Amino acid sequence: MDATIEVSDLRKRFGPAVAVDGLSFTARPGQVTGFVGPNGAGKSTTMRMILGLDAPDGGQALIGGLPYRAIRTPLYEVGALLDAAAVHPSRRGRDHLLWLAHSHGVPTRRVDDLLEQVGLASAARRRAGGYSLGMRQRLGIAAALLGDPPVLLLDEPVNGLDPEGIRWIRGFLRSLAAEGRTVLISSHLMSELEDSADHLVVVGRGRLIADTSVAELLAAASGDRVALRTGARTQAMGVLTDAGGTVAATGRDTLTITGLPAERIVALLGEHGVPFSEVAAHRASLEEAYMELTRDSAEFRATSNGDGDARMNGASGADTGEGR
Amino acid sequence: MTTQTPPKPAAYRSALTRGGDGFVRLLHAEWTKLRTVRRWTIVMLSAVAVTILVSTLSAGGDSVSGGGGGAPPRGPDGTRVVDAFQFVGQPLAGDGTVTARVTGLTRDTAEEDDRSMALGGGKPAPWAKAGIIVKASTTPGSTYAAMMLTQSHGVRFQTDFTVDRAGSSAPPSSPRWLRLTRAGNVVTGYESADGVVWDKVGSATLEGLPASAEVGLFVTSPGLFAVERQFGSTSVEGGPSSATGTFDGFSVDGRTEGPVRGVDVGAPPRGPRVPGAPDRPDGPAGEGPGPDGPGNNTASESGGVHTLTASGDIAPMESETDLAQRSLEGAMIGLIPLAALGVLFITAEYRKGMILTTFTASPRRGRVLAAKALVLGTAAFAVGLVASVASFLIGQPLLRSSGLRPPQFPEPSLGDGRVFAAVVGTAGVLALVAVFAMALGALLRNTAAAVSVIIVLLVLPQILLSGLPLDAARFIMQATPVAGFAVQRTTDDFGQVDSACIPEDGCYPQAPWAGFGVLLLYTLAALALAAWRIRRRAA
Repeated sequence: MDATIEVSDLRKRFGPAVAVDGLSFTARPGQVTGFVGPNGAGKSTTMRMILGLDAPDGGQALIGGLPYRAIRTPLYEVGALLDAAAVHPSRRGRDHLLWLAHSHGVPTRRVDDLLEQVGLASAARRRAGGYSLGMRQRLGIAAALLGDPPVLLLDEPVNGLDPEGIRWIRGFLRSLAAEGRTVLISSHLMSELEDSADHLVVVGRGRLIADTSVAELLAAASGDRVALRTGARTQAMGVLTDAGGTVAATGRDTLTITGLPAERIVALLGEHGVPFSEVAAHRASLEEAYMELTRDSAEFRATSNGDGDARMNGASGADTGEGR
Repeated sequence: MTTQTPPKPAAYRSALTRGGDGFVRLLHAEWTKLRTVRRWTIVMLSAVAVTILVSTLSAGGDSVSGGGGGAPPRGPDGTRVVDAFQFVGQPLAGDGTVTARVTGLTRDTAEEDDRSMALGGGKPAPWAKAGIIVKASTTPGSTYAAMMLTQSHGVRFQTDFTVDRAGSSAPPSSPRWLRLTRAGNVVTGYESADGVVWDKVGSATLEGLPASAEVGLFVTSPGLFAVERQFGSTSVEGGPSSATGTFDGFSVDGRTEGPVRGVDVGAPPRGPRVPGAPDRPDGPAGEGPGPDGPGNNTASESGGVHTLTASGDIAPMESETDLAQRSLEGAMIGLIPLAALGVLFITAEYRKGMILTTFTASPRRGRVLAAKALVLGTAAFAVGLVASVASFLIGQPLLRSSGLRPPQFPEPSLGDGRVFAAVVGTAGVLALVAVFAMALGALLRNTAAAVSVIIVLLVLPQILLSGLPLDAARFIMQATPVAGFAVQRTTDDFGQVDSACIPEDGCYPQAPWAGFGVLLLYTLAALALAAWRIRRRAA
């Protein structure tokens, strides 16, 4: 089976609230695709529709060309973690995996192997009710991996993990993708995805904001800005403005210049004898790029709706959209 | 780790051997779910404990004085019977025909006290009968065939106590010709309005009919009773009734042996009459003839008109005390933990969102519900069977020691098909209740709401039964899921015998399997509704 997740023009409303509004993207094998957006952006709803738990109002979500409900043995095709807290508190962690394994005839040995792999072997025979959120995330990831599927959908898998766990899951997700699997992970924090995702699907209010690789996104967000640190601020501003740059003062002795490459700036300052202590091509963090993107999206929505009140309404509508 | 590996186009291939997703696997998964929550195991054990405890308390709580006593007569098939009537006739050798016209059937109140007279409004008992009979001998319980005119049930052809076939619905006020013809062992009954045109009502083969059989006229009249209910109390007034039948045109065609004479057939069963619940001190009368039954039966003849007055009955004996049922009463309370388990089996998944995992692993939701129902039903049945068998085995000796002894109260045994059906059926009822509860849980998705509905449907009626008007109580016992408990009845309910049938005594108006069917229908309907809802609604 081709393990690509294809979402095309997906739509879902809950009463008056639009949760997902014409969303299209593709998650490919061999990549960790980060599905990112603020809370209420429609990420969970999209994942539920991909998994056949909610019926879309329009569009479709296919895994390997099939709607999820048409897959006969889903555990072997798609592993999913939607809500780590969704375990019966009185059931032991191992038993939770066992019933799931039994539904597809997965051997018990695999259950024990996975518990070892996610680092839960010592807690396997304790009740899941006593697990920390991080332990439940590990249990949920083990559950998703039971059928050794080529496609993984993990909703906020980093949530609740301790720093050691975060490091572990980043490496783990990378290795799963490296094996040729399709890995789709959602998060509302770009920083969680920074080191693990290859590809990013950014959503806001149910719409696609960006569908791009991490490298492209960073380059786009960084632009051609150059940061300059100088004691002679006024002088530097004069020289660089005359040369056609756009200069903004960002601090007592720092300037940000756009429209001029860094080498040209160094040459100009040397020519005019302006002292400076540092010139650096500005590199945006993923978080900054993300903030920029989602802010733009909000403004775009506001202007298209015509006035400020509409923006307020739009925001509250998107927030309720995340709930079911 | 922070370096980004370039995407690899090669798709992942799992080395894992794949199992299928067959229904059996789904059952295995649901069974694993059920057995891995320790609290649920405790609930199941408590269902067994509660059932046995309540059954034991209920069986040991009664004490009846004077159990034992004389054995009632038994019919040709071993059925315990009442066989007391006034007979006028003679032996007939070989084949022949007996004919007579019943000209009247009235209540005879001369011997009754005021209280008895108030019963039935001065009219004869509905099953008071006057007619002709062919009977092996005048010994109670011997084989017979009879044609008769009844007070409220028209013309009947009855044989060997249990067989009852209806003829025309002639009222006793209009004279009716009746005829019985014997040919070998076959006796055929006819009726006629004019003595010229005869209609066959029925025929029967009487295996034990001797060459020389008694043929003649008979009259008998079963006891009357009235049930009165006020909130919280039930009183059953009962007493014997006496009826007088008049005949003319009595003739026997055949080789008769000896003269026509009257015989007061049948002594009433000795000892107490069949008691009702002992918490009603003036308990109901049984179906047998009253203490003043024999002796008051008389017969006279004047100018070809025979007048017979009698009290009694020719019918199977109905016992209001069902010993098997009494020892299984705990199931009515034992159902509560099982119903709670049924609800929790599905609402626990909704509460924590685990249902999403379930439906992700098995997107065909109807199958999931079916697997859940089957696993839960089977587990509840096993639990119910342990509880009902134990209740029965513990309860029977207790009932015997409290006075409900043979031969007056025959000892039920698990080897008896109907007792076996009651014990197994009780487990079946508990299984259905658990599945019904689960379906409600799937519909309501809320533990408290679903448990409340179950309590209202299955426990509240039991409490309210004694306070409701009789018709309302009987309706509840037929039309609500409570009807399922009718399966615990092991005593017959014959159409040709009127009984008080007090709901709180466990008398269900329906046949055992009909009641069970009502509960089954409720369960299937709830499951179908739940399946429809579960597929339609987002999880």
